[in-house]
Amino acid sequence: MSKWRIGVDVGGTFTDVVGVGPDGQARLAKAASTPHDQSEGVIQGLRNLAEAAGLTLEALLAGTERIVHGTTVATNALLERKGAKVAMLTTEGHRDVIEMREGLKPERYNLRLAPPEPLVPRSRRFGVKERLRADGAVETGLDEASLAAAIEAARGAEAVAICFLHAWRDPAHEQAAAEAVRAALPGVFVTTSAEVLPEIKEFERFSTTAVNAYVGPPVSRYLGRLAEGLKKVGYAGPVFVILSHGGVTPIAEAARLAAGTALSGPAGGVAAAVALAREGMAGDLVTFDMGGTSTDIALVAGGVAKLGRGREVAGERIALESLDIITLGAGGGSIAHVGAGGTLQVGPESAGARPGPACYGRGGTLPTVTDANLLLGHLDPGSFLGGAQRLDVEASEAAMARLAERLGISMREAAWGVYRLVNARMADGVRVATVRRGVDPRGATLLSFGGAAGLHASAVARDLGMARYAVPLFAAGLSAWGMLRTDLRFEVTRSVNANPDASLAATFAAQEEAARARMAEWFDGEITATRSADMRYGEQVFEIGVKLDGVDWQGAAMPDAVRQAFHDQHEALFTYSLPQDEVVLVNARVAALGRLTGDAGRYVAPPMLAAEPRQVWRDGGFAEWPVYRFGDLADGATIQGPAILESPTTTILVQAGDTATMDARGWLMAEID
Amino acid sequence: MDPVTLAVLDNRLRAIVEEMGEAMLRTSYSQILNSSRDFSVALCGADGSLVAQADHIPVHVGALRFASEAVLKTFPEIRDGDIFLLNDPYNGGSHLPDLTIILPVFAEGQCCFFTVVRAHITDVGGGTYGGYNAGATDIWSEGVRIPPIRLGENGDLRADLLAMVCANTRIPRDVRGDLMAMIGSARLGAARIAELLATHGRASLLATVTAILDLAEKHARSILAEWPDGTWSGEAVLDDDGHGRENITIRATCTKAGDSLTVDLTASDDEAVGIVNSSYPNMYSACCMAFAYLLDADLSKNEGAFRPLKVIAREGSIVWANEGRPVTLCTSHCSNEIVEAIIRALQNAAPDRAMGGWGRRFRVAIKGKDPRSGKGFVWHLFHARPGGGGSSAGDGWNTVGEWHSAGGLKFGSIEQAEARFPLHFEKHEFRANSGGAGKYRGGLGAELKLRVETDGPAVGNTAGDGAFHGSAGMQGGEDSAPHRYVLHKKDGSERLLRSKEVSIPIESGEVLHLLSAGGGGWGAPGERSAEAKSKDAEEGYTA
Repeated sequence: MSKWRIGVDVGGTFTDVVGVGPDGQARLAKAASTPHDQSEGVIQGLRNLAEAAGLTLEALLAGTERIVHGTTVATNALLERKGAKVAMLTTEGHRDVIEMREGLKPERYNLRLAPPEPLVPRSRRFGVKERLRADGAVETGLDEASLAAAIEAARGAEAVAICFLHAWRDPAHEQAAAEAVRAALPGVFVTTSAEVLPEIKEFERFSTTAVNAYVGPPVSRYLGRLAEGLKKVGYAGPVFVILSHGGVTPIAEAARLAAGTALSGPAGGVAAAVALAREGMAGDLVTFDMGGTSTDIALVAGGVAKLGRGREVAGERIALESLDIITLGAGGGSIAHVGAGGTLQVGPESAGARPGPACYGRGGTLPTVTDANLLLGHLDPGSFLGGAQRLDVEASEAAMARLAERLGISMREAAWGVYRLVNARMADGVRVATVRRGVDPRGATLLSFGGAAGLHASAVARDLGMARYAVPLFAAGLSAWGMLRTDLRFEVTRSVNANPDASLAATFAAQEEAARARMAEWFDGEITATRSADMRYGEQVFEIGVKLDGVDWQGAAMPDAVRQAFHDQHEALFTYSLPQDEVVLVNARVAALGRLTGDAGRYVAPPMLAAEPRQVWRDGGFAEWPVYRFGDLADGATIQGPAILESPTTTILVQAGDTATMDARGWLMAEID
Repeated sequence: MDPVTLAVLDNRLRAIVEEMGEAMLRTSYSQILNSSRDFSVALCGADGSLVAQADHIPVHVGALRFASEAVLKTFPEIRDGDIFLLNDPYNGGSHLPDLTIILPVFAEGQCCFFTVVRAHITDVGGGTYGGYNAGATDIWSEGVRIPPIRLGENGDLRADLLAMVCANTRIPRDVRGDLMAMIGSARLGAARIAELLATHGRASLLATVTAILDLAEKHARSILAEWPDGTWSGEAVLDDDGHGRENITIRATCTKAGDSLTVDLTASDDEAVGIVNSSYPNMYSACCMAFAYLLDADLSKNEGAFRPLKVIAREGSIVWANEGRPVTLCTSHCSNEIVEAIIRALQNAAPDRAMGGWGRRFRVAIKGKDPRSGKGFVWHLFHARPGGGGSSAGDGWNTVGEWHSAGGLKFGSIEQAEARFPLHFEKHEFRANSGGAGKYRGGLGAELKLRVETDGPAVGNTAGDGAFHGSAGMQGGEDSAPHRYVLHKKDGSERLLRSKEVSIPIESGEVLHLLSAGGGGWGAPGERSAEAKSKDAEEGYTA
C-alpha cells in the first residue's frame, strides 16, 4: 500500500513540510521556525500538513512510511559560534594541530587579515602521554596518570574530542581514552578522530573531529527532542536526515557524525535539482534557494552536483564528503542599515523568525528585504502566505522611513535601493558558483525556490545575462521535496595503503558486507553498492578517486585491472600516466545505497482569493501590474511580463520583457528576451 | 568591452591557472611540491607578459614573465607542440632549483599564449644534496644550469634531453615524476586555453585580455593615488653570507608621485661571496610582491597591476648579482629583506596598509637512509614555520611562514612525514613569546623536537637567515625573537646550528630542537588592550 512520504526543511524563518500522499498529490505546509527548539516548528508543520490533507496529525503519521529531514542546527552553531564548549585530548606535544592549520592561510595577498579564533581554544586542548608510530606500533603506551589529569582538566566541557596521532592505523588508544572520559564525565559528548574520519592526515582528521564535538551536542539534543516529539504524536516510523553529501541517513547516525550535517539544510535543494535534471529539465541548473535568513547557491552541471572533501564551513575544515554549495548571509529577513561609510547595506544581521520583518507586526522595527518588497508593491498585505500572515504596511513604512531619513532619500527610494542591493549580492553569489568555477551562467537556468527567490529571480538572472529562470509552484517546499528524491547512503572506508594485490577482493567484499548489513538495519528495499578507491603513484601524496564498479574481482588479472583503472583516470584528469611506476591504493571505499522509491507527486495549489491588479513602484512612481494566481494557470499557459504570480507560499515577479510558461511539472519557466 | 564577458573571462583565466596548480599539487612526486606547494603556475601572453597567475608562492609573482621572455629571445621561431625548459637565473630563471616548463598555445597558426609551470625540484646536482649549497661561491657549484632548451617537439619529449637532466640530479625518479607533473599541468592549461580560443575567437580573447590588464592597472593606480606624495627610505639586514661577512644591508628608497611608484635599491650593499645574492628576475619579483602586499588583496596579479611600479637597481649589488655569482637562497634571502626594506619605507605613506614583518626562512635538509625501505632520502624542513606579522587588522597569524610565501607553503601532515621518512616528531607546538610585541602582536613561531631515526648517520644542511635578526616591527611594534636551532647530540652536548652550513653530522637517535621566529608587531606595545594581554597569558601565547 502506498503511504505518505514527508520531507521537512527547517529554514531560518520558516519550516517547510512537503508530503506526497497515497493519492500522488504533493502538499506543502509551513510553520514558523522555532530557533530555540526547531522540533516544535517541525511538529507544528506536520500538524499543518495534516490539516491541509484533511487528516488528524495522528492519522497522517500512522499512514506515513518515512520522514526525511534537513536541519540547520549544525550550520547555525558554526556560523554563530554557538556550539558546545569543547575540550580536546590529543597526543602530548601536538596540541596546536587545529590552530596551526598546516601553515596555510587563505587569501594569499591579504596580509591584513585577522586570524580566526580556533573552535577549541588552546587553553582547552590537553596533551596526553601516548604515541603510535606511523605503522601503528606503540611508541609510548597510553599513560593512565596523564589521561586522568587531562580528563580532570577537561571537566566542565560539554564535549570532548579525542585526537591522537596515527589513530587511523589503530584506534585502541583513542577508544580507551573515550571510555575513560565517558566513565569520568557522564553525559558528555565524546568523539574520536578514528571514528569520524579513519584516514591519514592529522589536520583534516582533527579539525573534522573538533567540528563534530562542537556541533554534536546541539545536533544530538535537537534530534533527540525531535524523535521524542514525533513519538509523542504517535510516529514510530523511520526518520532520516539529509547529509552534506546529499544522501540520507537515520537519526542516530546523524547524531554520531553530526559534522556530516553541516550542509544538511541546503542539500535538499541540490538533491531536487539533481532529480529534476534526471527527469529531463534541460541544461545546466543553478540552484537559487533564497529563504528568510540566508541564500544557498549551487551548480548542477550535466545533471551532476559536484562533491568535494575540502569543505570549510565558517572557516572550519570538514573533510567529509560534501556538496559544493555557496551560502550567502542574506535573505528576505536581512536587515537594511546604513554602514560605517554612510552607504546603504543589507545584512548580515537578520530579523529571523522573531521578531521578523517590521511588516510581520511582531515587534520588529528594522526594515528588511521583505519590508522593501511590500513597500514596492511586490507583495500584497492581505494575501501573503495565502493570507495566513497579514502584513502591516504602516510598520514597514515607519521602519523604512527611518532608514530613508538617514540616507536623505524618500521612503520608496530607500525600499528600491534595498531591493536592488540585495539583487546585486545574489548575483555575486551566482557568479561565484558559476563564473569562478569556469562556467558561463548565461547558458544556465536559474532554478529559483525558497520563499523569497521568486521576487528576485528575474532581476538576478538579468544582472547575469542569464536567459532563463524557473520557479516551481511550490517554491517554498522544493528543498523539502528534494529530500524525498534522494537515496539512503552509507559509506564504509578502509585505509589500505598498499600496492593493489589479490587480497583486495576480500577487503572490498568485507566492506560491502558491512555496508549492506548496516543499510539493511535501516531499510528493507533493494540495496545496491558501488566500489571505488583513492589511489596514487608511490611518490605522490594526493589520491584520486577511481571508480571500480566494472572490475572482475575474482579474475587473476584483478590487480592489473585496478591499476589500469587508476592509470586511465590519471591520464584523463592530468593528461599523462606513468604505467611503469608504483601504484598505491590508499582507501578502499564502498557506498551502500538504499533506493527510496516513490513518485515525485504533483502539487496542486490550494484555492486563493481572486487576485486584483497591484500598484508596483518603478522609476519614481506606481504602475499597475496584473496579478495571476499561480495555481489557476493551465499547463502551457503563457504570461507576458510585467506581471505578478502568487501562490500561498511564494510570489513571483515576472518583469517586463519576460515570457513565462507553465510547464507540465508545475514549474513556471521564464525566458528573458 | 562587455563587462559580463570581461568578468567571465577574467575569472575563467584564473580558474584555468588554479586548475593547473591543483593538478601540479596532486600529481607531483617531491615532498617539497606535493606537501609544501613550492611551485607557481601562470599564463603569459605571446610577448611574455603575465596575464594570470594562481595564488601560490608570491615570490614568483613578478618572475615568470622573464622565463617566457627568455624563451622568446632564445628561439626566434616558436612552434606548436614545443616544450621548453629552463632554470638559469641569468637567463629567465630565479634560482637553479626552480625548473620552469613553458608551453606555447597556438590558435589560427599563431602563438597566442604560454602556459608556465615553475616548480622547486628537490635536487639539481651541485656541490651538495637538496639544492641549497651554503658553501657555494659560484653558480657552478650550486647545480646544473639549464638555459632555455627545447625539451620537446611536436608534443613529444626528447628522451635524450630528459635523461640528461635526470642524470644531473641525485634523485632522478622524483625529478622525472615532477617534470612529468609540470608538463602535465602545462598541457592541461594549454588545452583549456585552446578551448577558450576556439569558443571566443583569437582576436576577441586577446582584446579581452588587454582590457583585463588595463583594468588591473587602473585599480592599482587608484590606490596609489590615495597615498601622499613623497620619498622614504627603509632597510633590512641579512645575518651573513655564510663566508664570514655579517650584517649585509638592503636599502630601498621609495618615491611615490601621483599614481606611480619608484623603488630604488641602488644603495644596497655589494654582492656577496655566498648564496644570499639575488638574480635580477627574483629581485624584480620581490619588489612586485611588496607592492602587491600594499595594494588590495582582490586586485588581479598581472602585468597591468605592476605597470605603475618602476624598479631601479645596481648590477653587482646584493640584490642583482653579476653573472656567475651563487644565488640559490635568493627566493628566500634576500627576497624577504627586499620586501621588508620596501614595506619599512612605505609604512610612512600607507601606515594602515603596512604590516609587521613576516618570518625569515631557515631551512634544514636531512639526507640519510631509511631503515624500513633501505632507500636513501632527502627531507626538507617545512615544519616549525615562523609567524606572520601583526597589522592594523589584528595580531599576526601563527606559523604561517615567511614574506615570500605568505601562508602559501603548507608544512604537511606529520603522520605522512613519519610514514615517508625515518623521522619522529616528538613535539610540534607554538613557541610562546616569539611574536614581536605591539598593539597587534606578531604571530607565533613554533617549537619542533625532531628525532632522526636513520639507518646509520645522517647529514644536515642548513640554508636560511634570521638567526640574528627577527622579523621587523612596524609603526612602533617590536621585532620578533629570531630563530634558534640546536642539535642535541648523543653525548649530551648541544650544537647551535648556523643558518648557512653544509654537512652537519647527525647520528641516528639525535634530536633537532628548533625554535622558529615569530612575526613582527604592529603599533606601540603600550597600546595593546588589557583584554588581549590577558588572553595571551591564558592561552599560553605569552609566558
